[in-house]
Amino acid sequence: MIEKAVEETFAALFALTDLRQIFRDTKPTYQFNNEQREKIKQIIEKVRQSLDVIEKELIK
Amino acid sequence: MKQMIEDIEVRAREELFINIQPIQAAGRLTPEAMKAVIAYGDGYSTCDWCRKPFRLDKIQRPPISEFHIELAKFVGMDQARVVPGARRGFQAVVNSIVEKGDSVIVSSLAHYTEFLAVEAVRGIAKEIPLNEDNVITAENTAQKIEKVKKETGKLPKLIIIDHFDYMFGNEHDIRGIAKVAKDYDIPFLVNCAYSLGVMPIDGKEMGADFIVGSGHKSFASPAPSGIVATNHEWADKVFRTTQIVSDVTKRKFGIKEIQMLGCTLMGANLIAMMASFPAIKERVKHWDEEIKKINYFVDEFLKIEANKILSELPRKHTLTKVDTTESFDKIAQTHKRRGFFFSDELKKRRIVGIFTGATRAWKMNTYGLTWDQIKHLAQAFQDIAKKYELKVV
Repeated sequence: MIEKAVEETFAALFALTDLRQIFRDTKPTYQFNNEQREKIKQIIEKVRQSLDVIEKELIK
Repeated sequence: MKQMIEDIEVRAREELFINIQPIQAAGRLTPEAMKAVIAYGDGYSTCDWCRKPFRLDKIQRPPISEFHIELAKFVGMDQARVVPGARRGFQAVVNSIVEKGDSVIVSSLAHYTEFLAVEAVRGIAKEIPLNEDNVITAENTAQKIEKVKKETGKLPKLIIIDHFDYMFGNEHDIRGIAKVAKDYDIPFLVNCAYSLGVMPIDGKEMGADFIVGSGHKSFASPAPSGIVATNHEWADKVFRTTQIVSDVTKRKFGIKEIQMLGCTLMGANLIAMMASFPAIKERVKHWDEEIKKINYFVDEFLKIEANKILSELPRKHTLTKVDTTESFDKIAQTHKRRGFFFSDELKKRRIVGIFTGATRAWKMNTYGLTWDQIKHLAQAFQDIAKKYELKVV
């Protein structure tokens, strides 16, 4: 369903926006604490999942 | 940084640098607002569910109507509207109250848009002089009112005072001035462009008849965005609705508000304000921490010999004017890059926001920086001073 692909497109953009905020919070040294490291992992995982769904819905 | 579209570059300075630009600090978006911009960037995006009576502040989905009610409560007033910048708030109030030849009392540190709002209706702006600490006092306000009364035979129609001014970030005696305004029965507008959204604001407690705020200065919102709020006494006048009937088609325009020119802040800017609102409500509770950070920075900055702070001390606001004429400007006199050496050195340390080339009197704002970033900032100035053999005590 196209709705699912669109939903996951926004979900990925929003997750990457959270990553932007981590850059903003930690600039200019980017020394991440454990909580931020965990959050970064979650964001990357979320974006990958979203891309998988988008790929499945649109390409495969 | 890569180009976004043809010659428009990606703006990533908030991700890559500590930005101490004086007017940008508290307008940086929350992540919620950034998401709102992504989702609601299309033109009339807020109008999908606009139903009768066809006015922005009545829209239920997304909950724009509820936001207006909550916003009024948040600023301690009875009614609030969103507007395209604080300047449109001044304009709405001035248009409602001031007529040609009327006097309006403003601060000697008033923002230029306050003057323009008065000029637009052919009013006359009269400035209150500052005291020796660059603060507007109740006493000076009363003296100015008396002077205007003597000169024109009439009382001023409106008093507009900045809660914190744009030049020094000094706090002005709003409550004292409110009492003077009440004694003379002159309506009082408080310009909270630098306070609404960063610290708790209660308009009625301040004695204000009108509160104006800036979304892009202090409410983590895109430009232009702003707020105008008032009490029941003035709401009918400032937010009066159209009565006009067109002559040929006999059209009427429902309950559109004249001073708002109907619907005001449509689209992503409004939804971003709404998206930032929960974070705004939370962050104003931590203003004291922001003040601790700027005062820590100031203490460290003053360890560099001959550095001065031109704003009032201790700091009550993160916007601060400093003077480095006798320190960094002396280096600039003989440096091959002249004044640009200073911004070059700061940029090497991942700091931007000072007007390029400025080495004498300049402004900065530390709002929203973490303690780590504040310490990095203070250390950077000291490191530059040491590099050029300025004394750091």
